[in-house]
Amino acid sequence: MESQLVRLCIEAACQSRESVEKWRRQRRSLERLPSPLADALLRCLLSRRLLFPSLLEVFKRSVEKVDLRGEHSVDGEWMAYIGAFRYLRSLNIADCHRISSSALWSIAGMTTLQELDISRCMKVNDAGIRHIVTISTLEKLCISETGLSADGVTLLSSLRNLSVLDLGGLPVTDKALSSLRVLTKLQYLDLWGSKISDKGASIFLDFPKLSFLNVAWTDVRKLPNLSSLECLNMSNCTIASILEGDGAKATLRKLLVSGAALLGDAETLIFIETSLLTYLDISNSSLHRFGFLPCMKALEYLDLSSSMIGDDSVEEIACIGANLRYLNLSKTRIGSTGVEILAGHVPNLEILLLSHTSVDDAAISYISMMPSLKDIDLSNTHIKGIVHQVDPEMDPALSLTSLQCLMGLERLNLEQTLVRDSVLYSICSFKELTHLSLRSDSLTDMSLYYLSSLPKLRNLSLKDAVLTNQGLDSFKPPTTLRMMDLRGCWLLPKDAIVTFCRSHPQIEVTHEYVPLFPSDHIGSKRPYPSRLTLKTSRVNEVGKVPISPFFIDQRLKYSREELLALQNWSSVSFDAPHDSDILAPNMQ
Amino acid sequence: MRKEDTVKLISAEGFEFVVHKDAAMVSQTIRNMLTSPGGFAETQHGEVTFPEISTTILEKICKYFYWNLQFASGKETEFQIEPELTLELMMAANYLHT
Repeated sequence: MESQLVRLCIEAACQSRESVEKWRRQRRSLERLPSPLADALLRCLLSRRLLFPSLLEVFKRSVEKVDLRGEHSVDGEWMAYIGAFRYLRSLNIADCHRISSSALWSIAGMTTLQELDISRCMKVNDAGIRHIVTISTLEKLCISETGLSADGVTLLSSLRNLSVLDLGGLPVTDKALSSLRVLTKLQYLDLWGSKISDKGASIFLDFPKLSFLNVAWTDVRKLPNLSSLECLNMSNCTIASILEGDGAKATLRKLLVSGAALLGDAETLIFIETSLLTYLDISNSSLHRFGFLPCMKALEYLDLSSSMIGDDSVEEIACIGANLRYLNLSKTRIGSTGVEILAGHVPNLEILLLSHTSVDDAAISYISMMPSLKDIDLSNTHIKGIVHQVDPEMDPALSLTSLQCLMGLERLNLEQTLVRDSVLYSICSFKELTHLSLRSDSLTDMSLYYLSSLPKLRNLSLKDAVLTNQGLDSFKPPTTLRMMDLRGCWLLPKDAIVTFCRSHPQIEVTHEYVPLFPSDHIGSKRPYPSRLTLKTSRVNEVGKVPISPFFIDQRLKYSREELLALQNWSSVSFDAPHDSDILAPNMQ
Repeated sequence: MRKEDTVKLISAEGFEFVVHKDAAMVSQTIRNMLTSPGGFAETQHGEVTFPEISTTILEKICKYFYWNLQFASGKETEFQIEPELTLELMMAANYLHT
């Protein structure tokens, strides 16, 4: 978007507090700044922690969009400056927990504001809404999980221009919803977790343009026919009927009924035009027959995880496989036979999740017949990585080798499988692999040796492995590696990890010995002392909670003798794991 | 440097910068002016006037053009921008699409 020189200028302008002081008095230039540039400059200042309330003032004639999501320091003082922004169109202060109802007084009556997000500002209550309803230009308002009551919600009826309204997690009653009937421009309505019942559901008929509706976690059982609807979320509801009624059937594109209890077969409950449906989430639902799937020819995203589907119903998925890009079959009764049926029918499948299923190495050769795969999750399965030949005289074959023909494979998850070191040899020729996850206590330093030859590896997770400091020292990480998760590798002494972090500063290492907040490069230049103390206090907390639960598990797995043997094998500078609770968390 | 290979960029104060065409073309805006078939006056005379851009900024822009060519050919140096120039330079760069 931004040209290169513009980007260099913004970088230079946000170099330090001193550089900000150099330009912040150039009033004439600041007033002429086109809004996309002003917005970008403001964003960069914020990300560099150089923004403070009085600096906001210089942007009052240029900025149109302010995004302060999750900034803990944002309070009434910030709002006072923002309230003076002449051309502000969009303001996002979601998760700014210091924002209270009175802080919103500053933005009352703004004449240009179209979008406002104050989601999860828990101190905002009905008094705050009285300030917001004075902004009659509002088209998009997100107030989910604030301190609003049903009475506060009824006040919103004066915002006649609203087309997007997020009321998630608010105690909206049927009566309160009925007062919003006048908002006929509504296209997007989020009411998850509200107190809406079937009686309130009939009010949706008064919103002729409604295309998105979320009534997850509510008592709505029967949803009337809303022909304009394109996206519906009824997750975790008890469903008696969906969109039943006269008139044209709704052409839904997205349907989420995850965790829902359906009172009957899907065919008899769901009254929609299925031919255009592209996204279907029926994970965790009570469905046990899947005969409705074959009519959903346009499906691209299908989540069946934790459902009752088994190998006997895979045929139904195979016949709509042509457009599928995402298929989640985790925690189902699917086995290798099911994968065999799918092979050859899913030419566009990019993501396949089979975690916690009974698939074994027989499935791998079928998976390799799905040419577009980019991401495969085989964690918690029976995969070994080797197939024993019929002739016991022959060497066992490496099953993962067949995945080599997947030219686009970027992510592979083999956590909690039976894969051992020797099998990883077959992975090192995966040219495009960027993310690899392994977790097993039968993996050792040999794994690191094999994995160092993966040319594009960016994230490596090697949890619970029995790695030693020699192994880590001699590991030559691929130049692309940026993240390494070594949690649960309990045999690694602290200094081995520290040395590794020092010699590879580009790699972010996660391990029990690495503090959550490592070095703070710009700490001294922080404008907010409060933020700094917050961080230090968190680091102190890390000191109090020294060992994660599965770290203890690891030690319990071995007897004292085994541990001592391993200790000698590892190194002389070994730090016993139980020392970790007295270790200082700071490691600069 | 032959005259037809160069282009004259004129600042708000009337200062003239003669730069190589290839360098000036780093700016998408100037490239469009010089190459568009419509026959802009700029195309014929090889001159572009920028009444909105001051001499200091235009000089910096010209330096950037040459730096960009070098950078593209693999010479990785840093382009220094004084903080007091950032706002005006940013607006000029935005206008010139560079």
